[in-house]
Amino acid sequence: MNTQLNIKARRSFFSPSFVTLLMGVFVVLVLGGSSIQAQTTTTTDTAAPVDSSLTIAAKGSFSDPTAGTITVNGNVIISARKVVDNTSTTTPAIVMIDFDFSQLKGTSGSTKSTLKTYVTGDNQASEIRPLQASDTIIVTVPYYESTKDVLSARTMLVNATLKFDTTTGKLAAASISVGNNVVTSAAVGTTTTTTTIQ
Amino acid sequence: MSDRNFFLSPKASKARLREAEQARKERWDILKAQSQGQVSRRDLIKMGLFTSAGLMLPISGLSPFGRSAFASSNIPTGLPPSPLFTATPFSQAMPRFDIFPRIPVSALTPAPTAQANTTQQPVDPALGGGTGPIEGRPPGPIWAHQQFNLLPPAIAVDASVEGAKVNTTYNPGVPSLQNSGINPATPIPPRFHPNLPDQNVDKFWTYNGSIPPKLMQVRYGEPVLFRLHNRLSVFQNQNGGFGIHTISTHEHNGHHGAENDGFTGAYFFPNQFYDYHYPIVLAGRNSINTTATDARASGPTDAGGLMKIPGDWHETMSTHWFHDHMFSFTAQNVYKGIAGMFNIYSGLDRGAEDIIDGVNLRLPSGRASVSGKSWGNLDYDVNLMIADKAWDANGQLAMDIFEFDGFLGDVMTVNLAYKPYMEVERRKYRFRILNASVSRFFKIALSDGSPMIQIANDGNLLPNPVVLTQLDDQGIAERYDIVIDFSRYSVGQTVWMVNLAEHQDGRRVSKDLSISEALSGNSDDPCIGKFLEFRIARDPAQPDISQVPSTLIPNPDLSNIPVARERVFEFNSGANQTTNDPITSFFGPWGIKTDNQGGTLAADFGRISAAPKFGTREVWTLRNGGGGWDHPIHIHFEECQTLSRDGSASKVPAWERGRKDVWRLKPSGEVKITLQFRDFGGMFMEHCHNTMHEDNAMLLRWEINGAGTPFLNPLPTPIPSPQGVTFMAPDDILPTAF
Repeated sequence: MNTQLNIKARRSFFSPSFVTLLMGVFVVLVLGGSSIQAQTTTTTDTAAPVDSSLTIAAKGSFSDPTAGTITVNGNVIISARKVVDNTSTTTPAIVMIDFDFSQLKGTSGSTKSTLKTYVTGDNQASEIRPLQASDTIIVTVPYYESTKDVLSARTMLVNATLKFDTTTGKLAAASISVGNNVVTSAAVGTTTTTTTIQ
Repeated sequence: MSDRNFFLSPKASKARLREAEQARKERWDILKAQSQGQVSRRDLIKMGLFTSAGLMLPISGLSPFGRSAFASSNIPTGLPPSPLFTATPFSQAMPRFDIFPRIPVSALTPAPTAQANTTQQPVDPALGGGTGPIEGRPPGPIWAHQQFNLLPPAIAVDASVEGAKVNTTYNPGVPSLQNSGINPATPIPPRFHPNLPDQNVDKFWTYNGSIPPKLMQVRYGEPVLFRLHNRLSVFQNQNGGFGIHTISTHEHNGHHGAENDGFTGAYFFPNQFYDYHYPIVLAGRNSINTTATDARASGPTDAGGLMKIPGDWHETMSTHWFHDHMFSFTAQNVYKGIAGMFNIYSGLDRGAEDIIDGVNLRLPSGRASVSGKSWGNLDYDVNLMIADKAWDANGQLAMDIFEFDGFLGDVMTVNLAYKPYMEVERRKYRFRILNASVSRFFKIALSDGSPMIQIANDGNLLPNPVVLTQLDDQGIAERYDIVIDFSRYSVGQTVWMVNLAEHQDGRRVSKDLSISEALSGNSDDPCIGKFLEFRIARDPAQPDISQVPSTLIPNPDLSNIPVARERVFEFNSGANQTTNDPITSFFGPWGIKTDNQGGTLAADFGRISAAPKFGTREVWTLRNGGGGWDHPIHIHFEECQTLSRDGSASKVPAWERGRKDVWRLKPSGEVKITLQFRDFGGMFMEHCHNTMHEDNAMLLRWEINGAGTPFLNPLPTPIPSPQGVTFMAPDDILPTAF
């Protein structure tokens, strides 16, 4: 095989281009080489992740453009996994948070004939966040009438306030509020009203 | 600004921006020398620029993570932001993909052959001279097209990989009205925006050398011969400083023989071609529905009917892509533009929403009765290839190949266009979203939080659609097919696709933002926020009759198929190099430990790490050995089912309960999957699709054991050269492989 074709082929150490490169490297090292710490270490990161979970009984309401007020009940399961990066001294620990909204149910209407129920489907939201003692996460959540298909879904807003024990990385407390998602021509969803549940 | 951000803010001081630009130039000289073969990584280690693990030291003036001389302690130099010249967001129309022409096989000269065509041709002196075969596929029976006579190609696609040029043959497959008004007859220069410079021929390499990216439309029951010519320069140094002119194309994730899989060591040279034979068959064709009686196992005919084929209809696939897979250079070559998409049409997923026959799912696409096309309508079925890019002060594509943690761009592109807009009608659209980045994950939402319906994951229609207001993080190479119903908007309104996944470096997502956080403009990550604008342009000319059925494609039933074997693959940093073949092995900071034996090994396509038996099913555990990074792991050949995440089946989210071929392991995470080995044989791969990790050197070879003649046990390793491919015995076989 022609050695020039080797994808890791090397030319002579003393070729003109290599000497030029070497001189350039020397200059860079002398003039700029103040930091000598490796970008990452090369050991396997063996810190075990820390799992925790809370189930929050949610109850609240928001406005639907056609159904009017929808009242929401049900549990939200919040699972958190704290992960540490042992290979970096500058990277903060993170938590991976899964919200399971599948048990949330909504109702609208006040009489048997007008009563409608709403579900969120198999809805989950997964978030990666830096570990901090308190974190507020705003998540949009779809809902749709249980007798209709997913194409009829609209959006409500869940505002979750999470408290972590930063020593253990475990989820210590959580509260959830539910509010309206606003669809405008500016297309920015914001909470207009919120009802704190717990 | 955060301590570890990859890119400087445009608001950084002039001194810091100058410093970063100077550092980039100095680093550029070194990486260009390495990419052009003037200096090896081992030389750079000797010079003190790299650690023995292959990591570039954060030396001020070289690494973006070296300390800045113009900032407080430990603030990195950073990379200078890509200049935008006068380009502004959402000021250019998003081009739809450019469809590869389908031609008769008889139009190919020479005619394709089962075994590689070894007809000799002169080899350019720059490539060593002498003579060599016209086809770069390894010769002989092992690399012959499997079942070539049984599944002869019915159509052909004749394409090339070449440097940037003007596109004068653009075919979007839809009327201009459905392509945001783009006139396909207007030549398209190779640039990311009309106000950005044309890319140089050595900087930008794509299929056919042009943009928009290419789309191959195929259908079940119609085997395809994809002839790919390597028309890159014979001179390795004409690469614009990164990328290599030897190529191998992976059809991700085709169910076909290994000779067509774009094996990383089956690369070919300029002036050669490679014939890929894509039979487009359903998995299980030799054991399930072998008499082809089930109408759901089918491809569409031109007359609007069905062409029944053998195999399991539960294995029907829809959205693939194809890209370069050159050993140790995948990141560079794909970043340079060697990537396209591949839509597979079936009886179930027809691409014609008005055909009602009890099989067609009638997903948003377009009407056969309007277009005259009984399959593959694209009016409302849109491919989106999302990728972050960066360019230098001259506006030329720029990359830092020494960022082994992962390379990030600071500019969002869709279909290789900088932050475009797309005109849509008030109706349902299907979007086939591909993350074609090197290292960046995306998390996509609509700017108003409106629902989207995810219907497919990695090209496989889910058992049931899943309604979401923000998609899960989408790893590199993952494909998410979604449906958006724009009828909720009024004509004249706009809504944007927004990226919520914030990065500080290429290791993993640092933080998922809320929509309001992402829209606030406060993120240090320049790729956060709006990247694609939808302009609600009009009402549809015909009523929207497309559907999203509540049942799409249930998973194949594996309950009666015993598990023959379990294997564990752990993806780590700190790899050991136990082999040193100059062609097949490559050393880098990443590696894979197999079955808890020995250490974490750096890539060597001459090593066999696993050899499952033909016709069996196995369970594989994919484990992330660290908490500091994520790895999107890809397994070639056949789609798999996800059994559990972190030991729990309930942790598999609804959108991952179908079949998949890429899994984000998540930091310190673990995924258990099951897969089968059937229908074809040969050598395949498993690797991280953060392609900087893949190239440095988180990749392994596995092969199917006992697929019958002509396969040997073990298979010899191909060693390509322009003068012909030779073979050698595997240089390593792990004790638990067979």
